[in-house]
Parts: sequence; structure tokens; C-alpha cells
Amino acid sequence: MFACIYGQPLAKIKPTSDDEINAGEPLVNLAFSFSPLIEQTTIDTVVLDIEGQEHLFHPTGIAETNKNNEWSYKIADQITRCAQGDGLKVNVAVASNPDAAIHAARALNGITIIPQGNELTKLGNLSLKLLDYSLVRIDDTRADEIRETFALWGLRTFGDFARLPIRGVAQRLGQEGVRLQKLARGINKRHLVLVQPPIGFEQSLELEHAITELEPLSFILSRLLNQLCANLDAHALATNELRLSLVTESAALGSCSTLEDQISTESGSDRMIHDRTITLPLPMRNTKMFLRLCLLDLESHPPPAPVTAISIIAEPTKPRVLQNGLFIPQAPEPEKLELTLARLAKLVGEENVGSPELLDTHRPDAFRMKRFDLSSTQKNRTSNPQSVILKPSIVGFRRFRPPLPAQVITKGERPMRISARKLASSDTMRGKILQASGPWRTSGDWWRPDVWARDEWDVAVADANGQSEILCRIFRDLASEDWFVEGIYD
Amino acid sequence: MNQALAKAQIEANITNRFGSIFKIAEKAPTDFLSSGIPEIDAVTGGGLPRGAITEIVGAASSGRASLLSATLTDAITRSETCALVDTSDTFDPASARQAGVNFNSLLWVRCGNSVERAFKATDFLLQSGGFGFVALNLSDVTGNYTRRIISSWWFRFRRAIENTPTTFMVISPVACVRSCASVILEMRNNRALWHTSAPFFQTKNPAAGVCLTKGCQISLVEDPQQQHSSSFLTHAYLLRAIDVRVKLVKPTTWIEGFVRFHQPI
Repeated sequence: MFACIYGQPLAKIKPTSDDEINAGEPLVNLAFSFSPLIEQTTIDTVVLDIEGQEHLFHPTGIAETNKNNEWSYKIADQITRCAQGDGLKVNVAVASNPDAAIHAARALNGITIIPQGNELTKLGNLSLKLLDYSLVRIDDTRADEIRETFALWGLRTFGDFARLPIRGVAQRLGQEGVRLQKLARGINKRHLVLVQPPIGFEQSLELEHAITELEPLSFILSRLLNQLCANLDAHALATNELRLSLVTESAALGSCSTLEDQISTESGSDRMIHDRTITLPLPMRNTKMFLRLCLLDLESHPPPAPVTAISIIAEPTKPRVLQNGLFIPQAPEPEKLELTLARLAKLVGEENVGSPELLDTHRPDAFRMKRFDLSSTQKNRTSNPQSVILKPSIVGFRRFRPPLPAQVITKGERPMRISARKLASSDTMRGKILQASGPWRTSGDWWRPDVWARDEWDVAVADANGQSEILCRIFRDLASEDWFVEGIYD
Repeated sequence: MNQALAKAQIEANITNRFGSIFKIAEKAPTDFLSSGIPEIDAVTGGGLPRGAITEIVGAASSGRASLLSATLTDAITRSETCALVDTSDTFDPASARQAGVNFNSLLWVRCGNSVERAFKATDFLLQSGGFGFVALNLSDVTGNYTRRIISSWWFRFRRAIENTPTTFMVISPVACVRSCASVILEMRNNRALWHTSAPFFQTKNPAAGVCLTKGCQISLVEDPQQQHSSSFLTHAYLLRAIDVRVKLVKPTTWIEGFVRFHQPI
């Protein structure tokens, strides 16, 4: 059995764009609340398959012959009530095939029940102008021609056309005429063009008792992620972004005031939402990997208060397809690498893990850390050793961060002795400067408050045991007149 | 030297009497990662062994960071993925870029002077696998501290990379990896060249090339085209070059080499 819902207030136009389809969204939502098998025929017409729902609306104490009509009426009545609750005025028709239900819903006000075999009885008096040619795939031009033919034949109602002999109709109008006559008789059988329910990759859970520790939270996360990955797997998709929202009890905001934590307070309640976003370099759908990443992230950025609800949203994307070359050197597996990066970030801090990127400035030691991402370099990988060109060996430099304050004895402008102590160890750099070259004056960023200007010297300092010399770069800050050791040539 | 000779003599006596049953059978490395410096590759017999630990020992200004940059450059050029665990946060990206390091394939872990964090980070990297070259820089850790590092760490690292193509380099002021290292290279600053001084490193025969023989030194050709003009000063590079002596300590074949590291022009 099929039920058709026709929304009266909406204009009767065919959906031609996404916006128009969205305009019929209330009808679709209404239909989805009764059946998962929905066809949106036009923007104002929705057909739903209600077969099997007699168990929900089964009447008792009624004769078997009237049972079908009774539960069909109950469903139609329920649909009408729900539509009124949503502010919609609808006609509902129930029939044994979708097209008969459509025509009845469009033409007859209120609730119409058409028992199987009585279609022509209900539809016979309808005007032929209401016949929907698009249901049997007849285009508008051909439909106009057929309408003119019907007018010439003097046909006005569904019944007039249905009573014509089928052989004559086939001889004059072809197969289109046969399909149209079946439509008019209300016996046209077809499958519904189903509306796919929107794919939602979101899992959430409200907790009866607040969770304060990470371990019990991991079990809940595991369950949600399992379901999420199963959904992704069912649609042959993966995700490259996980958004984790933890609803927490009220707590002092001061305990969670890191910049990356996105904490918002729900309006009208004392609960807060602790949002975390885990961005993955490549699409994945590995539950264990997601769970470890979530736990590592929550260990680094714990929620400020006990958790009362959890929600995880996955951003769906196409899965990664990669064919490695046979002779290309091995690279870390993306999943393992992501996990390793998360562990390293937890160990040393996110700002201390990644790839350096030099900044476009002459300021010494100007760089920033960017996320280590191998996906961009994968395409350019080669195994051809002939591409390696030997370059002259370049002197390396090890830079002290921050520069070591030093005491320098000068003669004229030339440094003669130096004494500096490393901050993190007991090592000292002290002794006579054997060789010095400089000064090299540099300055920059004069338009900023952190302007820098200095004289650099490359010096060789006698080692403490006198066996070798340390080659280092020292500089004198021209603003403060203080000396510093910038680093060691090594 | 005397200790090594004495050890060799004792081993020879034992072998004569009992055969080689007491000798620890070590697998000879078959695959190498080039260090990026032909002279050092010649000393080590092909480069840095894969699936083994290479230890670089030397004091400050002995060319350890230069060797690290050269190896990183060469490995990344060969499409290897590299990782650097920087214990004291002294890696200088600017000089590494001038040496040719492509940072897109380099994972830099800054450990903020914490040796414990550095070892844990190294363990994560080696256990995850897939890296062609991993370096642990302990340059600024004092010798007393590095000697106290328990051996189980090194055994764990050696176990993690054996039978993998990963080359693991440890840079330290004193030898600390001990028996777990397959190759130990000792580096020493021989002399520095300054722009204000005349070049001191002159070979008698400019066309001599490299002479490699066990027990003798390697003479390097000084390329006249690489000599810097004394009037040419780049940004603060007042030091011109460093000459470094490289000695292979393990396996004990006593091969030495000399490398000159230039300042970028």
C-alpha cells in the first residue's frame, strides 16, 4: 500500500534545483517519520510505502474485509494530524499503487482511501487535466499533442479515457497511450524513486552519571567511534577530520584557558562544551587509531569538568588511494605516523614537533614550526640515485636558544677573552680568544618595538683543556651593549 | 691503541687454541646510507650502515653538525624520510637550508634540554618505523651524563631498527653507545680557516686525489675553485672553513680521513 501526501499551500511546480527540493523538506521529514521508503514526486507531493504498517495500526474487533480500510484510514489520519501540528495543510490518499494515490491526493481534499480494485470508482470522475503525464515519462510537447487528441475525441474524465478499448488506444497513441490509460485506470505499477535519507556521520551519547576520568571515557569513545567507522565503511568513505564535543558540568573557566580549547557555555544552562578538532593529513577510518588519537588529545587538553555528554562528528571524504612504487624508499605509514606525532606532541608539546619553515626576514633564528606532512612530498618521491648531486660540505651551526649571555674583555673593539656559561648545564666557555674575525654589523625591523642591531664576530676560543678550540659566533647587542654567544660552528 | 692491540692479541691466542667459538658473530652491514661526504663514506666503507647504530663522537666544533646536515641533505634527496631528535634544541634551520636540507621530509623534535624526553621521542620514532634516517643529537649533553645512560636503551634501539632500512645516528661528546654501535666515528677539529688568514691546508700535489689504505691517512685534493677570495664576505660568515679529522674507531680498522667544511658562499 502507498500513501501520498499533497501539501496544499505549496506551489505545484516540479523540483528543478536544490533550493526547491529544500522547500519541500517539511513534507519529506513528515513522510520519514512514518516510513523509510519515500519518493518526492514533486515539491508538493510525497509518496511513502506503508506496506507492513498494519501491525502498528491494526484495528481489533472488525471484520477482515474492513481491516485494510481501517488501518489505512488510521495512518492517513495520523499523517494529517502530524502535518497540522507542523503547520501544514495536506491531502492524504492511500491506494494500492503510488500513481493512483498521487492523483487522488492532488484532486480530492482531506483523506481518501482507495481499496484495491476500486481505483476507477474513485478516480473516474476526475478531469483529464489532472492526469500527470510525467509519471509515465511523457515530455511536455508530446503531452500537449495527446491533450489535443483527447479534446478532439471528446474525452473529459479519467473514466471516459479508461473505458476506451485498449487495442484502439494502442493503434492511435502507441505505447504512450497504453501507459496513460493504465494511469487513468489507476492500475499503473511502478517502483518508488526513493529519497536517500541524509547521511549523518555523527554519534552522540548522553550520560546518566558524569565521567571524571579518561579510562571510562575511552570505553564510550570506543563505542561511538566503532559505530562511526561502521557508517563510514558502509558508504565506502573515510574521514580526515574528527570533531569531538564534550558537554561538561559547570567549572571555573580559568582552569581551561588555553588558546586552542574552544569552550563555550550553553545558553540558559550552566553546562559547558569542550570542543576538540583532530585534523588528519590523510583520510582514514581506523577505529583504534581514532581512539588513540582522541585519548592522546584529551590527555594533552583535558576537559575542565566532569563530562556529561559526548558527541563525535566525522567529516566524510573519499578514502585514500595510493600505489607505492616498488623501488621508492619506504616512508612511515600515515596512520602510524599520525599516532607517533600525537605521542611526540604530548611528550614535548605541539609547538616542538614538526618541520621548520624559514621566515622571510633577516632576523636571526627566524623560523616557525609547521605540521609534519608527508602527503605533499609523496608525489615527488623518486628512487633514482642519479638525481643526487654531491654538494660541497657546508659548515654546520648549532644555535643556542636563547643566546648565552657572555662577559667579553675587549681591546679596542676586538674581543680578547670570553666567559659564558650554558644555562642548562655546568659547561662553561671560558678562555682566551685565539682568533677573531669581524665585526659584521646587522640590524633590522627598526619600525617594530623589537628592533635588533648587533655586531657579529666569529671567534676561536681555546678549549678548557687546551687541546682544541671552539669556533663560535658571538655578538654585541648595540642597544644594550651586552655580549652574547649565538652558537657554535660544528 | 695499546688496549686495542692487546685485545687483538688475546683474541688471536684464544682463536688459535679454541677456534672462533668465543667470537661474537656480528652481521656485516650490507646496505648503507651515504653520509653525503665522499671522504667519510670512504672511511666507513660505504656510508652509514642501515639497520644499525652509528655513533659520531667529538667535541664542540668538530664537524658533527656539518656531518648531520650533509647526511640529512643526501638522505632527503634520495626520498628518505628523516627525523632529528634535538635534545638541546640547537639545530639551526638556516644553516641546514644552506647545506641543502629540504625541510618537507624532516621531522624535527625539540626536547628542551631533557635527555629523558629525547630518548622517549627516539623510541617512538624508531618503533613506528618507516624513517630512513633518524638522528639523536646529544651534542650538548655532558660526557658524565651520557656515560650514565643505561645500556638497555641502546639495546632497545638496536633491536627496533635491526632488519629495517633505518639508519640511526647518535651524536655525542663521548662514546656512550658502546657495544650496540656498529660504527663509531671520532671527529676532531684540526684547524680553522679565516678570511683574514692565508689558507693553511695545502697539498703538495694538487692532483693527488684520495689515497685510501689501511693504516694510512687520506690525503684530500684541495679544489682551487672552492677557495674563497679573502675580499668576499657573506653574511657574517667571517669563518671560512673548518678542517676536520675523522677516525674510524669501530670496527677497529683505524682508518682516518680529513674533511673540509666550507662556509656557504
